Amino acid sequence: MVNLTIDGKQITVQKTATIYEAAQEAGVFIPVLCYAKKLLPYGACRVCLVEVEQMKGRLIPACTTPVTEGMAVTTTSEEIRKVRKTVLEFLLVNHVIECPVCDKGGECDLQDLTFDYEVYPNRFTGEKFDLPTDEVNPLIERNMNRCVLCGKCARVCDEIVAYGSYSFINRGFETKIATAYDRGLNCEFCGQCVSMCPVGAILPRPFKFKARPWQLKEVDTVCGYCGNGCTVTLGVLNEKVETIRFNDKIGVNNGNLCVRGRFGYSYVNSDERLQKPLLRKDGNLVEVEWKEALDAVAEGFQKAQSGKGLGVLAGARLTNEELFLLKKLAGQLGTGNLDHSGGECYKGLTEGFRETLGVQASTGDFPQVEDCDVILSIRSDFYETHPVFGMVVNQAVKRHGSKLLVLSDKKGKFTKLPGAETLLSRPGLEVNVLNAMAGVLLDEGLAVTKDVEGIEELKKGLADYTPEKVADQTGVSADSIRDAARKLAAAKNSAILLAYGLPYSAHSRELGAAAANLAILTGAAGREGSGLYLCGEKANSQGAVDLGILPAEGAMGAREMLRAAAAGDLSALYVVAEDPLSSYPDRAKVEAALEKAPFLVVQDIFLSPTAQKADVVLPAASFAEKEGTFTNAERRIQRVRRGIVIPGEAKTDLSIFEMISSRLGGQLTYTGPEAVFAEIAKEVPQYAGIEYREIGPQGIVWGGKSLDISARKVVFVKGGNPVDSPIQLITGSTLYHSGTISTRAKGPLAVIPDPFLEFGQEDAQSLGIKEGDMVTLKSNGTEIRLSAKVDRRMPRGVVFAPYHFPSAQLNRLYKGEAAIAVELVK
Amino acid sequence: MFKEFLKGLSITFKHMLPGHSTTVQYPKERLEISDRFRGLHRLVPAHDREKCVACYLCPTVCPAKCITVESAENAKGEKYPRVYKIDMLRCIFCGYCVEACPVEALEMTGDFELANYNREDFEFAKERLLR
Repeated sequence: MVNLTIDGKQITVQKTATIYEAAQEAGVFIPVLCYAKKLLPYGACRVCLVEVEQMKGRLIPACTTPVTEGMAVTTTSEEIRKVRKTVLEFLLVNHVIECPVCDKGGECDLQDLTFDYEVYPNRFTGEKFDLPTDEVNPLIERNMNRCVLCGKCARVCDEIVAYGSYSFINRGFETKIATAYDRGLNCEFCGQCVSMCPVGAILPRPFKFKARPWQLKEVDTVCGYCGNGCTVTLGVLNEKVETIRFNDKIGVNNGNLCVRGRFGYSYVNSDERLQKPLLRKDGNLVEVEWKEALDAVAEGFQKAQSGKGLGVLAGARLTNEELFLLKKLAGQLGTGNLDHSGGECYKGLTEGFRETLGVQASTGDFPQVEDCDVILSIRSDFYETHPVFGMVVNQAVKRHGSKLLVLSDKKGKFTKLPGAETLLSRPGLEVNVLNAMAGVLLDEGLAVTKDVEGIEELKKGLADYTPEKVADQTGVSADSIRDAARKLAAAKNSAILLAYGLPYSAHSRELGAAAANLAILTGAAGREGSGLYLCGEKANSQGAVDLGILPAEGAMGAREMLRAAAAGDLSALYVVAEDPLSSYPDRAKVEAALEKAPFLVVQDIFLSPTAQKADVVLPAASFAEKEGTFTNAERRIQRVRRGIVIPGEAKTDLSIFEMISSRLGGQLTYTGPEAVFAEIAKEVPQYAGIEYREIGPQGIVWGGKSLDISARKVVFVKGGNPVDSPIQLITGSTLYHSGTISTRAKGPLAVIPDPFLEFGQEDAQSLGIKEGDMVTLKSNGTEIRLSAKVDRRMPRGVVFAPYHFPSAQLNRLYKGEAAIAVELVK
Repeated sequence: MFKEFLKGLSITFKHMLPGHSTTVQYPKERLEISDRFRGLHRLVPAHDREKCVACYLCPTVCPAKCITVESAENAKGEKYPRVYKIDMLRCIFCGYCVEACPVEALEMTGDFELANYNREDFEFAKERLLR
């Protein structure tokens, strides 16, 4: 700690702090343009100049100067004011003054400073910039005439997003921020540069000319897309979400967002939202009043109860309170047939982790990954399913110098990070490689075996998974397997990352267990600072597991329910916030189930393909329209807040469950989410002692920063078998989409509007396929047509298609396997 | 003292003589209105559109909250007011809107005869304000 005085105030701060940070702590305001909390000090704008007693004779930039013992800092004086004013005058020489039409007007740092320092008139005159604006892309608009060259956009893109779109080009007065070859922007479109820009040089195009910042009502809530649980601050005007505001003060994401979080909000405003209940009459879905719809639901459910039973399929985008009530409702309906997210993909948590570690959640929190020495990411898709957690990994690699190991079947963002080592395996064989790594640890005596159960059995099982054998199978070299295992064992702090979701249902239990084995053997499991992360694809995937939206003992899970429904052994299906027809594996089976089920109720916000088959459709509310809590993939319980009103007569899922319950004579009524949460705290052990009102801006992490694991038992899991086919199809997430809901949001659609089939360059060349060609994929007697995309990510013989698009009907081919043998016809 | 009385009263009586009245026979006779008079607003036209750039300063400053602006992007990519209307029933003619306007797109005219029969007719949309 260091003692210093700022404007006469005594303060003690960390040794690593700069004068600016110390001043912030002391509550002294120093103006800045180029400083950002999450970026490294830069010192470009010279607005933060201050006087330091010990360095008399010149002014010192506060944001780059580290504090020293006994420093005496003066932040305001006549001289400082004069110098700062001159700096602003220089900036304004060629800055175009178009505040009335600039969307930043009202929250522009330059505008505020110009006002504070009374920089009018300007003593200097010069030519104003007249550069062309970049309005090519639909999401980020760049107007370099307004730029003050603070470099924040270039730095955030490099340091945090690790994409590196921008750089300074030219010199002197002509210096500007530009992309490679000064072309239009073509990047991830995460909009981090938008959030960083202190002026109106980089702006969100969907918000162009929509409103002024001071008109917007700001509502802090949690993003409804992935399990990362980023805080999004909705900018609401006239009951419409107009934009997502920058907010780095609260939440887990430090103000970082991905393309979905920042630009994917528009589906909540969609005109296609369901506004009234629909009931099937004479074969057509017609709008009816709630009473009629509820009568039909009650009658159908009662019939099912006395008939062959009822199944409930839920999505993982409901709040904890809603999931809890749904479970109660299922209990009231007398059924244990309750499941979520296809019933397969989360088994890494509920089976893999539970068998080995005795827990059903990730063991660490996100920020600690920044200080990990070695990070193993299983599947490169991790950045694409959880981009903002991915940014934490970027920072670990770039700032902490972490070694990143990527075990995956295709290349991706992570593989391009500096020093990243990719173990590129054939599809579906990740478990084999993990097994081989575990074997190396045991063979070389690197493994932590104290208090670990099941070592002998594991050793026996792993005899078949020597690095050489696995290298033959998977194509990952034996040396790199050994090397990766050694690095992981040697690391002081390590993190193992893995994502789960609907397109990753193959080997889910095995992957979870194999990753847990590795974490136990390297000692990472349960160690402070290290973590094992299995992150859900949807906003409340972890909540669904915590609250037990799982089949009861002896009851049917999602797959069995669908099978039973198809065979006519189930009388009713209740599908909540899920579109099984578009997103579950094996479309034919789902289709048969939905058609054969005598009574189908779908509760959703859109008339999804599944809802079109329903007997009753109940209109529900989106995340922006309800109150409650989500639990993110690091177990952080965060408040979801209502920003806008629900369109039409739609209702929140919570009140729909209550209505159905009371219509059936039940007692499920609560005064609101708070009351339900109190009930959750009573019944769910992990949530015990947590009060709804106490969930503050940072949320509450149940189990604490480092989750105590209750067991250390390694279990042997069998690896996959390679698919024997010259061309293999794999599916998964793309960066721009999440689930199927993002295909109704304008932002993500602006970047990836249509389904595609991705080829590596070698394959494309040898097959004679060019970008945009229509290609037919054949497998198992069915075929689908997709437009080709040629990239450098895919290894030979592997093609990739994202699962998000209902129109692609990819699940006609995808039946839950890790890789699908396909035939290609042009 | 008597002298002062006479002096004062002479002014009073002078005003009683014909041609010295300050009252005019409105509406037959009209006074010339000062340039600074704050009457009905006028949106100043530019070449092919209104000068207004929809910066929202007038609705923000308006103490009576009688101005509604909705901005949009026109074909040229410029910001323009898709909707601009003033509710004259609420307007207090303070002139802050004119003062706030950064592009001198709004003026106040001498027009003060704003009586009407319907409430709706007091809503002055862009078309009526552009003169």
